[in-house]
Formats: sequence, structure tokens, C-alpha cells
Amino acid sequence: MNALRVIAAAFRLQLAITRRSPGHLMILLTSPLFSVIFLSLVVSGQRSGTLVNGVLAPGLIGLWLMSLDLAASIIEEERWAGRMELLVASLTPVSLVVFGRIGVVILAGALTFFESWLVAVVGFGADVPLERPGVFVVAILATCFAMAGTATLLAAVFIKSRALHVFQNALTYPFYILGGVLVPVALLPGWLEPLSRVIFLSWSADLLRGSMSGNLPDAWPAWIAMTIGLGAAALVAGFLLINRIIDQSRETAHVGHS
Amino acid sequence: MPAVVEIRELVRTYRTRRKAEETVALGGVTLTVDDSEVLGLLGPNGAGKTTLVKILSTVLLPTSGTARVLGKDLVSAPQTVRENVGVVFGGERGLYPRISARQNLAFWAALYRLDRRTAQNRCSELLERMGLADRADEPVETFSRGMKQRLHLARGLIHGPRILFLDEPTTGMDPVAARDFRALVRELRQEGRTVFLTTHDMAEAEALCDRVTLIDHGRLVLDEPTRHIGRYLDARECVDFTCDDPAVLAQVPELAFVESVEPRDGGHRALLREPADVARLLVWLIERGVLSARRSEPTLEDVYLRLIGTRAMSV
Repeated sequence: MNALRVIAAAFRLQLAITRRSPGHLMILLTSPLFSVIFLSLVVSGQRSGTLVNGVLAPGLIGLWLMSLDLAASIIEEERWAGRMELLVASLTPVSLVVFGRIGVVILAGALTFFESWLVAVVGFGADVPLERPGVFVVAILATCFAMAGTATLLAAVFIKSRALHVFQNALTYPFYILGGVLVPVALLPGWLEPLSRVIFLSWSADLLRGSMSGNLPDAWPAWIAMTIGLGAAALVAGFLLINRIIDQSRETAHVGHS
Repeated sequence: MPAVVEIRELVRTYRTRRKAEETVALGGVTLTVDDSEVLGLLGPNGAGKTTLVKILSTVLLPTSGTARVLGKDLVSAPQTVRENVGVVFGGERGLYPRISARQNLAFWAALYRLDRRTAQNRCSELLERMGLADRADEPVETFSRGMKQRLHLARGLIHGPRILFLDEPTTGMDPVAARDFRALVRELRQEGRTVFLTTHDMAEAEALCDRVTLIDHGRLVLDEPTRHIGRYLDARECVDFTCDDPAVLAQVPELAFVESVEPRDGGHRALLREPADVARLLVWLIERGVLSARRSEPTLEDVYLRLIGTRAMSV
């Protein structure tokens, strides 16, 4: 219960910060441009079957880029601002604060899906299907949770990385492909599938596509479970890793930069 | 009075990134702090003051030795220690500048597990007490240095700690803001809180602290009640004087009963060998037309300068 209250407090904190400093939501400005590119390809190729892909891919890419951006900066910002030591001296694990703050930005970032839909409908006059709206909403929420969990893990990994920006960049296109963001995993070479299926995006992307087009298998709740399960596994790993890094920093005196 | 902080042979060493060299930040500090005491921790930059505060606030682990806060070991029971200590670092850092003072406090209240109603009440109470109620909902980045420091203090008090660590809290404040801040520290002491104050400001330490501890090269070089601090200069008397005549000024250190002369506040301070020498020096100065002269006692600054010397200026 305490953990939830702390996550909620971190959530409110980041909401207040984001309202005054919406830098992390810059993707909401650039995501429609991705939508234009993808939808141009889909519409000019007159491939209506891939319209759903053209709408979803910019949203997922936007969310993923936002997660990488947050993961790379959130802990480092706390250290440079002299708040990390105060966080460590409090009664709450730093990892809960990281997850709560990341969560709110990612939820706000889910607006990229709406933007992408708007570009398709208004910009291209496309008739975008949404056959299972209920499943779609659940899939978006599951995707946001898994994204926040994964970003929490990445935040811990990035602290340890000596080549942060190289690492950050390396986590873009391979994940778009393996996560089935650009094309469904089923269209990738078969030997890639086992690798794809350990990435939550591969489940959530299929789920989102299926909920829009109506091609959902009966086992779709299992896809939701896989998305949430992989996100939760990343979250737990992130919590453990951040807590371990903080403990190590207390030994090595690298908690803050002062 | 029972001890609230007990430190025994506390050692903290650092290794450089290449792990080639070991730096000793604290080299076996033993110290006891009593309940409701304001302890001043003084020393030059790099002496180990902040390291000691960070260890006592559980941000750093000691390399060896023990430290107990309210009887709890801070290595084996850090959460209990955290419930009872508040930390206030000086300077601009440590707050979320783009959100309001109230939002900052509400966040920290949640991190100290206060329920919503208690948190709201405590935030309002502290904002009122710190004189920030009128600006409580404005972004912290619009605050003056003194206001930010008062907000820092409110943040450190949000969970009602019995012990407060103040690390150079008045650095960079204007004199009025610093005076107001010191008044708040006095109030905290009256409430029965123990305050651990690190400062470079000798006058501040003298005005606020019941006891001062001087630390240098990670070791204690002095630990005395503030009122007895003059003992460290062998109870010698001083005469402060202002003299515009260089010839007279040059003669003063040569007098047999004068031990040394140091510049002080636009004038000079002569340290004498015996208390009885005060009258001799005053007469000597008056006979030479020096009319601005008075007896004084060694201050904490004199003790500090005597024990630390001018190394505080070195890097």
C-alpha cells in the first residue's frame, strides 16, 4: 500500500513537472511526422491491409523513444540536481520514484496513438478500423505498463553504461523490428520469432493490430498476460538493479555528483 | 542528558576510479552528541565534515567503526535511523525548481510515508512557520536564496525528525536571511531537537552551537562546549585596536608582553601573554595616541585559525 502511495506521489510530481516543462513530451510533436511517412507509404502503395500498421507504428515508436529518453535522463537528473542523496536518505526506495515518474510521462505519451489516428483520418482521409475498442484500450494500458517497467530497467542499465548515447541509439531499430512494430512478427524470418517473443512489444503490437482489424485469436487474453508479464519482469529486474546500484553507491560514495 | 548520536572510531576511505590510491576522509572519529544539543562541526574544505553528515544520514556507508543514532546502528538499521533524522544541504540544489513549494513538500511527505491528511497539515504548518505560506503555490525557481533554504529546512522537518543535519545551510544567504534562518534553528533547539550544523561561519557557530567540534584531515582536533572554547588559547586575553600610524603598529609585536598581532575586522588584535598585560598594552597604546582600543576575548575564529592555520584557503 505504501509503495502504491509513493508511486502515486511520484506520478503527481512528474505530472506537475511535465505541465511546466513538457520536454519529455516532445515526441508528441514529432510523432505526427512519423505518421505522415508511414501513412504515405501505405496510402501511395494502396495497401489498405497495412493501414493499421501505418497508424500503430508511429505510436509505438513514439512511446519507445520516450521511454529511452526518460530512462537515460531520470536518474542522472536527480544526481546532478543534488536530490539523489536526499532520496536515498528517505524511507522510500528510489526505484519506486523512478517508476512513478516514468509512468506518468508514458501515459501522456500514449496520446501519440490518437495523433496518429488523427493524421490518418484528417490528413489522408483514411477509414481506420477499430473493431474491438475495449480490447484496444486494455492493450494500450498494458503496453504503457510494460513500457514503464522496461524503462525502469533501462534506467538502471543506463546508469552503468559508459557509452550511454551509443547504447541508447542501439536500442531503437532492432527493437522496432524484433518488437513487430514496423511489420508483424509473423512476417519476419521464422528464426527471429523466439527472440521477438521475449520482447513485450511483439505481443502488444500484435494485440493492438488485432484489436483494430478484428483479427484477434481467442487466446488474446494470453497476449495481454504476456505483455503485462514481460513488463512486470522488467520492472522487478529494474527495481532490484536500481536498489543494488544505490547500495553499491553508498559503498563507493557515488550516490550524487557533489 | 542521554546521547542521541554515538560515533566510535568511524573510518571512511575512498578509492579513486583506478583504485590505485586510497584517500582517508574520516580517520577514526569518536564523538557523542547529546539530546537537544546544537553541535557545530567546523573544518576546512575537504576535512571530512560532509562525509560525516552523509554517513550519519545513511547516504554513505562507513568503511569501519560504528555509529548509532538513538541507539540504532545506522548500517544494520538504516530505516529506523532515517525515520529519526532530517537532512538539509545548503545551496540551490535538492529541490524541484519548476513546481511549487507545496508540491515539493507533498512529494517528500509521501516519501516519508505520511498519510495524505497528515501530509497536507504538515505542509501547511511548515510553510506558515517558514514564512512561505504566501508563496506556497508558486514555482520554487522564483524564490530567493533565503526562501529556498527555508524550504529546504521545511523539507528536512516534514517527517518530524528528532535529529537534524544542516550542512552549510546559510552559505550564500544575505545577512538578514541568514539571521532569520538562525532564529529558526534556535526554535528547533527549544523544541528539543538535536541539530548537527556544519558551517564555515565562525560567528554563526559561536552564536548557535552549544558545542563545537573541529575536524581536520578526517580527525577531530577539538571538541568543546562553545563557552569554553577560549581555553584552547590558554585563556589568554586580547586587545582589539585600530591604529593608523605604521610606526606604532610596527612596535606592538615587539613588546615583551605581546605574543602576536593579527589583522582583525579593519583593525588589529594583539594576543597577550598574561591577563594582567591588558592594562599595560591599553596604557601603551593611549600614550601613543591610539584611542580606539578595547579588551576582548579569544573567539572561535581565533581558535580555528590557531588550530587549522591558513590551510583552509588551500585546495
